[in-house]
Amino acid sequence: MDNPPVTAEAPLSRMPGGGISRRPLHFIILADCSGGMKGEKIQALNFAIADMMPHLAAWERDQEQAQVLVRAVAFATEPRWHIPDPVPVSKIRWKPLQPVPKGLTNMGPAFAMVAEALSPGRLERRALRPALLLITDGMSTDAPGALEAGLNALMSQPAGRAALRLSLAIGRDAQSDALKDFIGDPSVPVLVADNTEDIADRLVAASLALSRMSEAGADRSALARTLLGPTGMHQAIFDRDTIV
Amino acid sequence: MVINSTSMPPGPDAAMGGPGSWHISTGSARGAAHRAAGLPNQDSVAWRTVTAGGGETVAAVADGHGHSRHFRSANGSALAVAVGRRVSSRLAANLAGQGAKAGAEAAVRSTLGGLVREWRRAVAGHLAHHPYTAEEQAALDSTGDGPDVPYGSTLLLAVVCPRWLACAQIGDGDFLAVRPDGQSIVPLPGDERLDGLRTTSLCQKDAEEAFRVGVQNLDDIPLLALLLATDGFGNAQAADPWQPGVGHDLAELAAEHDHRWFEDQVPTWAERCASAEGSGDDTTIVLLLNPGATAMAARADGDLTRRRR
Repeated sequence: MDNPPVTAEAPLSRMPGGGISRRPLHFIILADCSGGMKGEKIQALNFAIADMMPHLAAWERDQEQAQVLVRAVAFATEPRWHIPDPVPVSKIRWKPLQPVPKGLTNMGPAFAMVAEALSPGRLERRALRPALLLITDGMSTDAPGALEAGLNALMSQPAGRAALRLSLAIGRDAQSDALKDFIGDPSVPVLVADNTEDIADRLVAASLALSRMSEAGADRSALARTLLGPTGMHQAIFDRDTIV
Repeated sequence: MVINSTSMPPGPDAAMGGPGSWHISTGSARGAAHRAAGLPNQDSVAWRTVTAGGGETVAAVADGHGHSRHFRSANGSALAVAVGRRVSSRLAANLAGQGAKAGAEAAVRSTLGGLVREWRRAVAGHLAHHPYTAEEQAALDSTGDGPDVPYGSTLLLAVVCPRWLACAQIGDGDFLAVRPDGQSIVPLPGDERLDGLRTTSLCQKDAEEAFRVGVQNLDDIPLLALLLATDGFGNAQAADPWQPGVGHDLAELAAEHDHRWFEDQVPTWAERCASAEGSGDDTTIVLLLNPGATAMAARADGDLTRRRR
């Protein structure tokens, strides 16, 4: 990948190789830009995402392992990369998403697009497990089989399967099996923003969950109960290694 | 944990490996993330040099798994390198009589069953003196894990003796063999099961079969150096792949410095890789230098310079 290494050259020491850097943690936002998001919702979402970045950047500074790299997919009838190349979270200047007039909420192609980005050879071999955040205000409008095809494409990639996946429903009506299937872990709740004022709070909760639960030695179940709801969440980006 | 010895009383030759055996430089550092989480350095390293005969050098590196299932992995890795060093010393004697690569590789394979059994006995011995608490036992019962699982560890073994370099590995971590001209090879096969989250382990039931083995005939392919490292080293490297650059630079450094310089530097390299600017993970590095490394690298300096251009 093309993010520059953070080198740490000591004055009297020469170390073999091309320098050292933290392990990349790829954070990909999948944001619903369907026609239903127009107006107050998309404004609130843009504000909330922009507000979330400093929280992630602060966490990046405070922990000891990861460099957070952000990308974003805007999806409606078709998906497109809103931030195509990984950008260090500290350098993100959020460019507002725009809703697609009469755009549908087709999630499957967005999942497939992310799957492609996570395919072997596209991530650094030393990258930590990625984090994916799906944000939507509505039910999937995918053609029959398209949602499943996209999800299968994502899960067929080792990095997609291993990813820590969270979803945020904007409005109670947006909770759906598609979001639960995306998460793929019944112990992880779908985050719900009951109204536009809630979006920022929920995204902060998501970013805290993605970060703090990924720290070595964290009591993840306790954090999940605090941050996400009553049930435990067992996945984490920095899960320490265990046996095959 | 660091365990080492030579077969001679301390003296100039013994300290630097002696004629025929390779110079060893080691460094092991606690990862910044482990420090922040209050976890110990779960890596271990052991080595041994023998100057008698043609000389032999044995090195073992182990990385205790960080997952909470493996809450005694620091003990497991220490036991692994102690057993590994002992078994490798026996292997070195066996390798000395091997004339063909197939025979040498079979000799390595034939030691693995005994190695795994010795590690399990060592774990049982440790457990006898430090039984699981009721809470720990309840955790094991709930997951169905056997008594070895909390001690889970990787193990990398290297034996250098006249004619042969033999390597055996279970789990993640890296070997890099460096030729005098700076070209490098990974001296054993890869394992697709190692995805950065899961690793093969001494504590798995089919551990013997999970070992990877490689043998190099040093008469055919002279080597300048051999690097063994836990995954904290490779995960800190910005370059992808990092092996060509590291191999090239090691050869260049060997042309400029003797083994004492590496003895000073390798611990610093481990510290930097383990820092928050690197992988943040426990990092252990063992560098074996051919006793003729400086001369070999100097002779190949023209090749190095051309490759640099």
